Amino acid sequence: MTNKTTDINVISRRARGNILAKLKAEVGGADYGKLPQETAYVYPECSQTDNIAQFISELEKNHAQVIPTTKEQMAEVILEQLASLNITQLLYGEKLDEQSDYHREVIEALKSKVTLQPYDFSIDNNKNRLFNECPAALSNSRCSIAATGTIVLWPDENEPRSLSLVPPVHFVMVDAHKLHADFARLIEAEQWQDKLPTNVVLISGPSKTADIQQTLAYGAHGPKALIVLLLNS
Amino acid sequence: MKHVHEEESKYAASAKDFRKNVTRDLANEELRANFRGAMDYLMDKRKSAFSSADELEVLREQCKLIKQRCLAKLPHLLEQLEDKLEHNGIKVHWAETVTEANEIIAQLIAEKKAKTVVKGKSMVSEETALNDYLEARDVECLESDMGEYIVQLAKQHPSHIIMPAIHQNKQQVAQLFADNIDGFEYSTDVDTLIQQGRTILRDKFCQADVGISGVNFAVAETGTLCLVENEGNGRMCTTIPDLHIAITGIEKVVEHLADVPPLLSLLTRSATGQAISTYFNMISSPRKQGEKDGPKEVHLVLLDNGRSQAFADEELRQTLQCIRCGACMNHCPVYTRIGGHAYGTVYPGPIGKIISPHMLGLDATTNLPTASTLCGACGEVCPVKIPIPKILLRLREESVKPNREQPQVMQGQGAGRSAVEAIIWKIWAQVHKSPTLYALSMWCLTRCRFLMPKKLAGWTSVRTAPKLAATTLHQQIKAKQAKQGRG
Ligand code: SF4
Repeated sequence: MTNKTTDINVISRRARGNILAKLKAEVGGADYGKLPQETAYVYPECSQTDNIAQFISELEKNHAQVIPTTKEQMAEVILEQLASLNITQLLYGEKLDEQSDYHREVIEALKSKVTLQPYDFSIDNNKNRLFNECPAALSNSRCSIAATGTIVLWPDENEPRSLSLVPPVHFVMVDAHKLHADFARLIEAEQWQDKLPTNVVLISGPSKTADIQQTLAYGAHGPKALIVLLLNS
Repeated sequence: MKHVHEEESKYAASAKDFRKNVTRDLANEELRANFRGAMDYLMDKRKSAFSSADELEVLREQCKLIKQRCLAKLPHLLEQLEDKLEHNGIKVHWAETVTEANEIIAQLIAEKKAKTVVKGKSMVSEETALNDYLEARDVECLESDMGEYIVQLAKQHPSHIIMPAIHQNKQQVAQLFADNIDGFEYSTDVDTLIQQGRTILRDKFCQADVGISGVNFAVAETGTLCLVENEGNGRMCTTIPDLHIAITGIEKVVEHLADVPPLLSLLTRSATGQAISTYFNMISSPRKQGEKDGPKEVHLVLLDNGRSQAFADEELRQTLQCIRCGACMNHCPVYTRIGGHAYGTVYPGPIGKIISPHMLGLDATTNLPTASTLCGACGEVCPVKIPIPKILLRLREESVKPNREQPQVMQGQGAGRSAVEAIIWKIWAQVHKSPTLYALSMWCLTRCRFLMPKKLAGWTSVRTAPKLAATTLHQQIKAKQAKQGRG
């Protein structure tokens, strides 16, 4: 057993030296110019209509609810859904209403009908509140992926990562114009390697598990329902 | 060769008991039914996940080459990863052995005076038996993946690397919950069971001081830790507590962010037939100034535990291409019958047979490479084209080599060597090298075939004894040719 008092920095430094020395002894002078060519599979180009259909069908297969809507109807759709779920509160990203006119209008329209809670607090002293008093959340999304029915969230100080994780119902606004064919092409198009934030999350449905006898159950730890508000106009 | 691993792992003992374990589990009909059902389900899922054989083949070749490139550059990528992560504010620690990894984690937790840990699924932390280590130091360590939670409640270990509780059916889980959870009324309704788990675990996420997770891909280019999951517990563990500690094997590093999409696509499709997992979580730094959530500190522990031994041999290095999808076990006729616990190792099935000898030594795992029919299914489905059957043969060879023969590739080399067997094969080789000796021995064998015993140790315990022919093949052919010549 390692001596209990051994400082972990000492352990780590020694281990680092040994591991790297062993590995370098094997591949030290390797010529990386001679590595074989890697060929990617070329997926056929699809039309925007096909991509949207694929996006919706994949999400629905994964038990997400996709509601095509317009900027004008967005608030109405959210209210209807909340009513059918018997929910009267909605947590949303702070400053969402400052992002565009239509966001402001959505928030305005919701304000009079449900209790809106902006996520304007640090999680540190508010974990209980977040876990127990926030039945639903509304977030924006950065873009999405057709092939796998995936929504890309790029959390920041206004839309913290727990916004899309802790409340049992997650409404997410998705703009069909920001739909990419697949993950590889998305990374390439947006050059992600230069600008990854603290956390990026790809979401492709409500939380689920098949850990008990391969039987699918939704709402394992994260949201039980993912409601996608798809803007396509 | 230095024996650093064996005495440190409780799995060395259970792996040595392989034969006993197999007898025990083969006799358990409920267990066998559970595995059969689950494997059929998973094989079907995988099959339906690929639109064309061509796509699958191109992707497998691509992913194999990606992993081989990343391994060829491994030491440099690890340094780059460390640089990037530290630059992003994530502290990197290195451990050669499981005890070192555990000690690092224990001290990080102790520094914060933390008492409660929630864990996302991490096979590497199973490898180090981290829960035992922390519990001995008064830290509560709760598994939060539903399967892992069940397994922990039952005081067992995962029997599958993707679906840890696959050996239990819903009746067994219902009974387990009824026996262990206050106020839970026996129910075999899976939704009810999962909701029960959810309620308990959400409370724990909310309270926990520390979250521990594994890593699926560590991207050197960007300093990003990627986690694949469906449940959201991985996100919980890496988002809610103040301290996040990730632990992973040194082989999980990939060079570019662009390497991730093909690997991810093959991983989820090979594992459960999903086009993508519900969540793909990419973590590049702790909470930044102004952000409202996320851990304030993130640490990564990089573990060797025998991997560098596999790395040192070009053929065995391919073992490290593994992306832990579990497809090889799902398609393995041996795994399906004996189940995941019989192996006695953390990683069961074909991948377990080829990786465990590096972690525990060939002396503790001598039986594993031989427990295969070499049917080839594992090699055929492996998304990164690890030639598992070939590696099994190679490990068999290493285990019967004279234990002093150089170069020593494996810890425990020669552990399976038997003097009698070695002499028999030596004689066999001599006989087959000399036509005269060969003819003579065949002449003797066909004449003395009545001496063949009826019972041949292990062979006749489940089969009838082979019968030697009255004439050798050579004689028969000669006779036939003579007859044809006449005719
Ligand atoms: S060896 Fe291949 S098939 Fe088995 S778990 Fe690893 S990647 Fe999957």
